[in-house]
Amino acid sequence: MRPLGKAASDDDRPLIERVRKGDQDAVRTLYERYFDRIYNYVYARLGRAEDAEDLAIDTMTRSLTRLDQFQDQGVAFSSWVYKIAHNATIDHYRRHGKVTLVSLEQATLPQSADPSELALEQLSNEDLRVALRALTDEQQQVLILRFFQDLTAPQVAGIMGKSVGAVQALQHRALGSLERALQGRAVN
Amino acid sequence: MTSEAQRLERLAERLRVVDPVAPSPGAKIRGWNLVLAAVERSATVRSRVHPVRRLVIAAVAATVLLVAGAVAASADSLPDSAFYPLKGVIENVRGALAFSPSDKLAYHLDLAQARLTEAEAMLAGHRIELAERVLAAMDNQLNDAAELVQLEKQSDPALGASMENRLTQAIATHDKQLAGLQGQVTNPTALSAIIAARYHAAQALKLAAKPAASDGNPAGSLGGNGQGNGTSATPHPTPKH
Repeated sequence: MRPLGKAASDDDRPLIERVRKGDQDAVRTLYERYFDRIYNYVYARLGRAEDAEDLAIDTMTRSLTRLDQFQDQGVAFSSWVYKIAHNATIDHYRRHGKVTLVSLEQATLPQSADPSELALEQLSNEDLRVALRALTDEQQQVLILRFFQDLTAPQVAGIMGKSVGAVQALQHRALGSLERALQGRAVN
Repeated sequence: MTSEAQRLERLAERLRVVDPVAPSPGAKIRGWNLVLAAVERSATVRSRVHPVRRLVIAAVAATVLLVAGAVAASADSLPDSAFYPLKGVIENVRGALAFSPSDKLAYHLDLAQARLTEAEAMLAGHRIELAERVLAAMDNQLNDAAELVQLEKQSDPALGASMENRLTQAIATHDKQLAGLQGQVTNPTALSAIIAARYHAAQALKLAAKPAASDGNPAGSLGGNGQGNGTSATPHPTPKH
């Protein structure tokens, strides 16, 4: 797996202070730290490179020009950036509708000897992404943040505004739904 | 057959190794340019309107509005108005800015006319005491104007004569107005105040008409009402006595 770069963390505050003072190097560092991650998050949600680019740029612009609002939130900068990306994605859905580029029915999924088991090794990354987009909004969000973005359950809880326990339960249900989606069953 | 927990764990592991999709280099550069431009613009706006500066600007704007409003309100205020003292301050400022003898004369005549207008309003509102005071203030202005004419006649007879002519016309106009008022009022105090005002105006006219004194001093003020120097007279709407 190609790493996404430095994991989102709470040590962004010194950089943020520098951004406030007009330090362009700090802006650049934060941009480099988050742009790919946010692009990847949005792409996983939308599946279209053009939209993902626009929304990632929009998210970074909002994040770095509205630091006064961030100060008031009392959360990690990373959580704040992901929330902005999430809201941008929801807005995009509202404006353009939720588009599934490749339906699960059209996707050719490999079969294992045991129908209850998926031949996971044979699934392509795109198969997984397509299946994931068939889940509910929250289920998609928790799986993308936990596994694509490699965030911890407490970090995801901070972003989603839920307890860690609720995130773990949601993650469990989401994995079950994804498994059923990949098996071609009805998605909950 | 594996348990559900094991299957889901395997699925989770599979998700962990999904390669991230990277943005194109072009998108990243475009994004950086847009973000940088937005940050610079935002910094400019922030520095332009810093919160503290915004407060100062708001306070200054509010003060200016208040002062402008008060000045505007005081311009036509009458002696029974809360803004009337401010009118006196503004008149003092205006007096300080009158430098030439001609400007000073115009200043005193304007103020005398203003006091007369105020007296008419006070009499109409049966504010006899206030009417009495502003009529006295009018006489002060006319007396100061007369002293100014006297001084000018000594230094520049031609200009002095011209100023005397202006004062004469002004006092004649005032006297007509006062005569009209005199015919309207019945209150004895008001009546005597008007008569006194007409008398003092006539005395001011006499003072201005006197030949220029050789010692450089005015020929004499009337009843000590004026300031005698033509510049630091009593422009304040509230008379001194």
